Amino acid sequence: MSIPSAQYEDYADALEMIDDEDMRFEYIIDIGKKVKDQDFPEDWRTDDHLMHGCMSRVWIIDEVKDGKHYFRGFSDAIIVKGLVAMMTGSFSGLTGDELQKIGTDHVRRLNLGALTTQRQVGMMAMLETFKKLGSAGGGTVAGLRSANA
Amino acid sequence: MNKVVSIDAAPGSNSLAAFDVERVRRDFPILKQKVYGKSLVFLDSGASAQKPQVVIDAVRECYETYYSNVHRGAHFLSQRCTDAYEAVRADIAGFINAPSENNVVITSSVTESINLVAQTWGRKFLKAGDEVIVSEMEHHANIVPWQLLETEIGITIKVAPIDENGEFLLDSFKQLLSPKTKLVAITEVSNVLGTIVPVKEVIRLAHAAGALVLIDGAQGIVHHGVDVQDLDCDFYGFTGHKLYGPSGVGVLYGKAEVLSAMPPYQGGGDMIEKVSFSGTTFKEPPHRFEAGTPPIAQVIGLGAAIRYVSGLGMDNIAAHEQGLLAYANSRIEDLGGVRIVGQAHDKAAIISFLLDGAHPFDVAAVLDRQGVATRVGHHCAEPLMDRLGVVGTVRASFGLYNTSDDVDRLIAALGKAKDLLL
Repeated sequence: MSIPSAQYEDYADALEMIDDEDMRFEYIIDIGKKVKDQDFPEDWRTDDHLMHGCMSRVWIIDEVKDGKHYFRGFSDAIIVKGLVAMMTGSFSGLTGDELQKIGTDHVRRLNLGALTTQRQVGMMAMLETFKKLGSAGGGTVAGLRSANA
Repeated sequence: MNKVVSIDAAPGSNSLAAFDVERVRRDFPILKQKVYGKSLVFLDSGASAQKPQVVIDAVRECYETYYSNVHRGAHFLSQRCTDAYEAVRADIAGFINAPSENNVVITSSVTESINLVAQTWGRKFLKAGDEVIVSEMEHHANIVPWQLLETEIGITIKVAPIDENGEFLLDSFKQLLSPKTKLVAITEVSNVLGTIVPVKEVIRLAHAAGALVLIDGAQGIVHHGVDVQDLDCDFYGFTGHKLYGPSGVGVLYGKAEVLSAMPPYQGGGDMIEKVSFSGTTFKEPPHRFEAGTPPIAQVIGLGAAIRYVSGLGMDNIAAHEQGLLAYANSRIEDLGGVRIVGQAHDKAAIISFLLDGAHPFDVAAVLDRQGVATRVGHHCAEPLMDRLGVVGTVRASFGLYNTSDDVDRLIAALGKAKDLLL
């Protein structure tokens, strides 16, 4: 498997360079704070796009262009917003087949001990959602596919 | 087997001087550790309390020296283990001032205690149209068992309201009582708000209306002494793990005449007199309700926990915790930007709060990174969250081992949360 994306490498490298767990935690918060409400309009935050089983609410949408999936996501909690931004940024731009090859090790490089087990499980659930959307063929902006597709 | 409590609290003394929290803390080995390189501040005792060394030792001693099944063996260990196990039943009776150990049913949790009442007393004595009153502050464990009967039997659940401060509205409760009311099932202390419900008055009013009363004492018994005869409740349930004992053990107190009229809960060994295919007869309470091998070592551990808190004195514990509550309230007020959810006049040392402009999950995560353990979410009380119009809260729940330093650490961590999140 090739590198998921340049964005993924940027996140993973940045986290590896920060050798303090608290600083890594704050790095994720900073990413979350940069996500603005307008990046994910209110009318996308519907139950259809909601990931179930999360402690805070997480919405994921999937836009397909030229056979590649571009995910966008949002949460009402900043830390989760940061994780969602990292995950959607890292694993966008891949075909459905490429998404199936993303492994849990790829995700592990993004959490590096700064997260509780529960949040690590949440990130893995997000990966599974991406894969599910990828294998279902994906949607378009006009007909966004939901996290529950 | 009975370890001496490592503190010189005079039983029944109200003197805070007798309650040396630093000495108490030394009884809890888990509190010595660091998390994320910071010393642990444990403010999640409302979910489950930590265990003193005497409890850990009692469980280990049981397994190491006299563990065996109870009530059935014809050998030395079984007799010794049965004696120790039944002695705890007597200790529990003494702790809550039950008339006899026969009023004490061992369960796995307060959840099971409530389900036991619903599935035995409820199924036998409730019929369609009968009413069970709960409060808006109930834990799901004191809502769902009654909803099951609502579906199966057709009973009606009435909900006694609270006000915006989380104060139980006694007059509104009074208006719900009617000849249809057969049971009032109510918490003694809200696990979310800390509100202390005036259960003695609730019981008096319910009895006057001809209803029985079940008290969910999961959060009550850990913060203050309980006298079931003085309360005059018909049922009182509590759990071991919130009372500094092991998980997997709970208690249901019931009045003798009420327990005697109830059919068995689960069928199995230990609860029968005689089994035959032509008919089976059952033991008298409490054993009628205890099918199968009970949580033996957990009961032994609960006995040690009860001796431990009794040695400290429930009045001393209550006074210590009330001091912490007042200090925490005033520090939170000084900090600003934090809304305390639940401001009832009479509260146990439980503080639910929201940091203005921040999601409670973010706040709890930042507190955690500062070494401060709290709970976040709906606290198994979703109807209460709906009533208060919040998705969840952060909850700091204090125990007998917490200190004013813990409060200071909480405030410092909240300051950090404001810096990072706002």
